[in-house]
Amino acid sequence: MSEPIVRLRGVRKTFWRDREPVPVLDGLDLDVPEGSFEALMGPSGSGKTTLLNLIAGLDRPTEGSIEVAGQPIHQLPEGALARWRSETIGFVFQSYNLLPVLTAQQNVELPLLLRRLPRAERRKRAETALRIVGLEDRTQHFPRQLSGGQEQRVTIARAIVNDPKILVADEPTGNLDKGSTKDVLDLLARLNKELGKTILMVTHDPHAAERATIIRKLDKGQLA
Amino acid sequence: MIPLSYNVRSLVERRATTAAAVLGIALVVFVLSASLMLVAGVEKTLGGSGEPDRAIVLRKGSDNELSSGIEIGSVPIIAAAPGVRSGEGGGLVVGEIVVVAAMEKLGGAGMSNVLIRGVAESVFRFRPEVRFTRGRAPRPGTDEAAIGARIAGRFRGLEMDRTFELRKNRSATVVGIFEAGGSSFESEVWVDVETIRQAFRREGMVSSARVRLESPAAFEAFEEAVEQDKRLGLEAMREIAYFEKQSEGTATFIRVLGSGISFFFALGAVLGAMITMYAAVAHRQREIGTLRALGFPRGSILLSFLVESALVAVAGGALGSLGALGLGAVRFSMMNFDTWSEVVFSFTPTPQTLATALGVSIAMGLAGGFLPALQAARLRPVQAMRE
Repeated sequence: MSEPIVRLRGVRKTFWRDREPVPVLDGLDLDVPEGSFEALMGPSGSGKTTLLNLIAGLDRPTEGSIEVAGQPIHQLPEGALARWRSETIGFVFQSYNLLPVLTAQQNVELPLLLRRLPRAERRKRAETALRIVGLEDRTQHFPRQLSGGQEQRVTIARAIVNDPKILVADEPTGNLDKGSTKDVLDLLARLNKELGKTILMVTHDPHAAERATIIRKLDKGQLA
Repeated sequence: MIPLSYNVRSLVERRATTAAAVLGIALVVFVLSASLMLVAGVEKTLGGSGEPDRAIVLRKGSDNELSSGIEIGSVPIIAAAPGVRSGEGGGLVVGEIVVVAAMEKLGGAGMSNVLIRGVAESVFRFRPEVRFTRGRAPRPGTDEAAIGARIAGRFRGLEMDRTFELRKNRSATVVGIFEAGGSSFESEVWVDVETIRQAFRREGMVSSARVRLESPAAFEAFEEAVEQDKRLGLEAMREIAYFEKQSEGTATFIRVLGSGISFFFALGAVLGAMITMYAAVAHRQREIGTLRALGFPRGSILLSFLVESALVAVAGGALGSLGALGLGAVRFSMMNFDTWSEVVFSFTPTPQTLATALGVSIAMGLAGGFLPALQAARLRPVQAMRE
């Protein structure tokens, strides 16, 4: 068993609604081995997305420590956390979150703009990423000119273009038809196997979860 | 940095609201540019009316020719002062009488004052920049008049070969139209000085005396000699300084009025830009959240929305400036507050007017865009993406 790339200890997350505390995660411990493909399942409101956001450095725990890729991120100030995200995490969202006014190529190039890279190098890397997801012939298309499955593959290209260690995917197939779902899951499995990316995927879909190497179930803020 | 194409395309995507904000700023820049161009026109017309080697002599304490009176016997003394260039039969000097006459404006715009200058025949030698575009100079001792090109056709009777009333029961005929390098002389009527003297009962007096100096540097000696003789009670000024002083009141009036109107318009335009940018931020919350998630820092988001707002402003500024440049062909007649007579100005664009317009538009864009940009930068990625 390899060293865990994600290590959570005693993580608590409480939201406040109308001055009432709403505990979502309740003293969670979690170790994610490097190179694993994990599916997080659980009923709505069980805290799956919250857990994913904490690991991705999009949100902070109310209590507890989070160490990802050797970095205790619960202590990082805002600016450093943003930089860390850009270097360590690739995001795949349920509704793709592509910028509608940019082409596929430009969307994929976005994370590279945070690095000092020459324009030609950025272009090359974006093309490589789009080739990996099988969209080398759609580089100049705008999101509205692509199907849902293609949009999600552009999102995956954007997620891997910076060569991050971890991909977080929140319901990546939630908006897709059967065929596209299979394509996207195949692609994620390939990225996990061939490129060694650690993948954390939140999903409702048991068929999607079956593609993962580890399935974890979350219920009432606790891992079952 | 977030690419500029993202901002440009987002603006194009929301073209209706973008256009509204652009038009708001364009309106302000148009008004501001127009008033600045008019100020420049006034300064060019009045301020550009003098020559460096000419001096004007007025009665001490008078700040313009209309309120000044000099005894005609003083004119040869002035001509003999040091520094005056000599011409045929003594120093180059002209003594002129300046009066105003109320005349009817064409096009039903009511009455207005026109400045009438009684000139000697030698005036055309004295002012070689005066050039007749039609007709000829009035003959001495007649009721003939020459009119400036800018005033021609603007008042009843002030047209070639037409007759107008100099004074009640005293008419004059237009025999020539002249240009004078765009100066305020082009808004005057010139009649023989003796005719004016009789018609307006100015026996033994002139309003002003002008001299040609040997060189611009000769002015100090001339001024000292003229002002030293206390019996004469005279004051000498460089012609350029005189006209500049004349343009001050009018230019200040336009400047204050123009800036005042622009200021209130600008408040509206800044508010318009702000509403547009708030709408843009609200509409693009998910995009902002995504950019933040990808690792773009708050500063990038702030800058991106400020740039977007500045783009709107620059477009507005360019449109407003273009509109104002279109006014270049328009002639604008207004009261010169120093002589209470009509002077015709044009809108004169200068590099400064354009730079000011652009600077003000960018300032408006940044002012309108700052709070929305700050709001965008403060969005938390998780919440923003949930929208």
